[in-house]
Amino acid sequence: MTNSPCPHPDNKPFSGQPEKEKTWGGKRFRAGPVAWVIYFNMPTDTKRVRGPEVSQSPSLFSCDPAAVLPSKGPRADGRRRDQVDVRPVFVRCGLVSQAKGSAYLEAGNTKLMCCVYGPRETDRKDETDMKCGRLTTDMRFAPFSCPERGSWIQGSQDKDFSLMLHESLQPAICLHKYPRSQIEVSVMVLENSGSVLAHAVTCASLALADAGIEMYDLVLGCSMRQDGTSYVVDPSYMEENGCSSVSCENQGGLTVAFLPSLNQISGLQSDGDMTEETLTAGVRTCIEGCYKLYPVIQRALTKAVRKAAPSQSES
Amino acid sequence: MARVQVSEAEKVYILHGIRDDLRVDGRGCEDYRHMEIETDVVSNTDGSAKVTLGHTAVLVGVKAEIGKPRPTVPTEGYLEFFVDCSANATPEFEGRGGEELGTELSNTLYKVFNNKRSIDLKSLCICAGEHCWVLYVDVLLLQCDGNLYDAISVAIKAALFNTKIPKVHISSDDEGGKEIELSDDPYDCMRLNVENVPCIVTLCKVGHRHVVDATLQEKACSVASLIISVTHKGTITCMRKVGGGSLDPESIFEMTEAGKRVGKALHAPLMKLLEQEESLGKKRQKVYTCFPGLPLVSPQPPREESGAK
Repeated sequence: MTNSPCPHPDNKPFSGQPEKEKTWGGKRFRAGPVAWVIYFNMPTDTKRVRGPEVSQSPSLFSCDPAAVLPSKGPRADGRRRDQVDVRPVFVRCGLVSQAKGSAYLEAGNTKLMCCVYGPRETDRKDETDMKCGRLTTDMRFAPFSCPERGSWIQGSQDKDFSLMLHESLQPAICLHKYPRSQIEVSVMVLENSGSVLAHAVTCASLALADAGIEMYDLVLGCSMRQDGTSYVVDPSYMEENGCSSVSCENQGGLTVAFLPSLNQISGLQSDGDMTEETLTAGVRTCIEGCYKLYPVIQRALTKAVRKAAPSQSES
Repeated sequence: MARVQVSEAEKVYILHGIRDDLRVDGRGCEDYRHMEIETDVVSNTDGSAKVTLGHTAVLVGVKAEIGKPRPTVPTEGYLEFFVDCSANATPEFEGRGGEELGTELSNTLYKVFNNKRSIDLKSLCICAGEHCWVLYVDVLLLQCDGNLYDAISVAIKAALFNTKIPKVHISSDDEGGKEIELSDDPYDCMRLNVENVPCIVTLCKVGHRHVVDATLQEKACSVASLIISVTHKGTITCMRKVGGGSLDPESIFEMTEAGKRVGKALHAPLMKLLEQEESLGKKRQKVYTCFPGLPLVSPQPPREESGAK
């Protein structure tokens, strides 16, 4: 594939897939699977795309979305500030027929789905525990899920989310009932509109329940964002990433995973800079938010069980 | 994470001891082990520190490089964290074994420093939108004996305190092009204000009580721990539950309060120690090689003060 004289009769530079090759405005290009290759008296290095090494989303250079968010009055989506006002949630079980259990969750524009596979034999024989099953979690963001395009490869942020998901779910699952086996939980975020981790925890626990994995309790997630003296529960993407430039005191985010009927916190994560009192109040607020979610998730689960029951009795 | 096998009888012994506020090594529930801090240990870095806490040994090197500021914050520099779990800490870390723990630790460090107060990032800006200082904070675990988070955070604070960033001079020529000149004089440097850099306190829930600075044996008896990063003012920059168990909300509130108290008391003696060591200058004995177990000389009180019980 060089510019050296080609043995082909009509002097085409490619030997493979000649039928796909087209001439367009004097430039010959190949609609092949490699990349855009433009032939126009170019030197031998033809595979390289001569663009800038890194590209950035144009949204960065247009108006700044993270500039100033009002810290008073109603929120952009009409919810109330300083109230446990979570977004209405839509949940469904049994979405993916191939998986043992699956769930889909939508809260505002945050959309994610979760699949549970297993219990089955472990991949890693060296880490097989004779007494206890293994839980693996994998959380990924679709490249188009955030305003800026992400990569398909799991970054360190995704790994961090996976770990948090793992720690939040593990206390709820009766892993001792599944010796020498592995349960796989994978969450795919289709659209990120804030509070992703909290909703991922809820969705994953629902999918686990749908898969019939024995659990002590459902795990519910809720997050909040403190901004000076006011706070917002279940923040949207804008509220999560934008900051009001008024003060930098007492700002931060908090995510809590909660087991409602056991009254236990299985996951907790905060960042920013908050006083202890704010943080304590924040945890209480998040627990309250989890209780609001509880009946919705229970209803979705009973609906899924009812749907599954007649077909099982037939067979 | 490095683990040890603890028998049932040992567990009961440790649990009952902690219930009576008496730990295996004679400490109280909110006491740290003997801590040794030494700064300026690696000559090729811009700032470095070695911290040993019991048998846990951590080496931190800070390197400053000129980079491009992030497009979202053109007037600020940034910090990059990398934690390397070397195989000499424990054989489990061989190959890719330490990778998981390394990413977990570094991700937590990003969270700990994810606020405007910890480090004045604006002071790292050289030329808005074009050049800034990037501080690469590389953490090397030399030995693991529990409580990695606390040791790492203290080491990072000491290394950042020790960091000397050369002053830069920007000159522009006639065509509007800019030239950056680095100062040759090693004393003509910028120091960072580390007053607000938080320290991490890890609280391990053992039985009905919680302990600070758990050893590996104590860690094996606990189901979950809470890591809290506390600034000198007592504000909390990061809180995280780690481990496979769950915690009661009330005990989380209790642990937050204890963590705040312990963490707040950690800062003043630490800063005093760092300043004291700095003032000794070249007179003190320096260790340039970094092997665990080498005797380190550093002026310090026998034990870090850790607040009231």
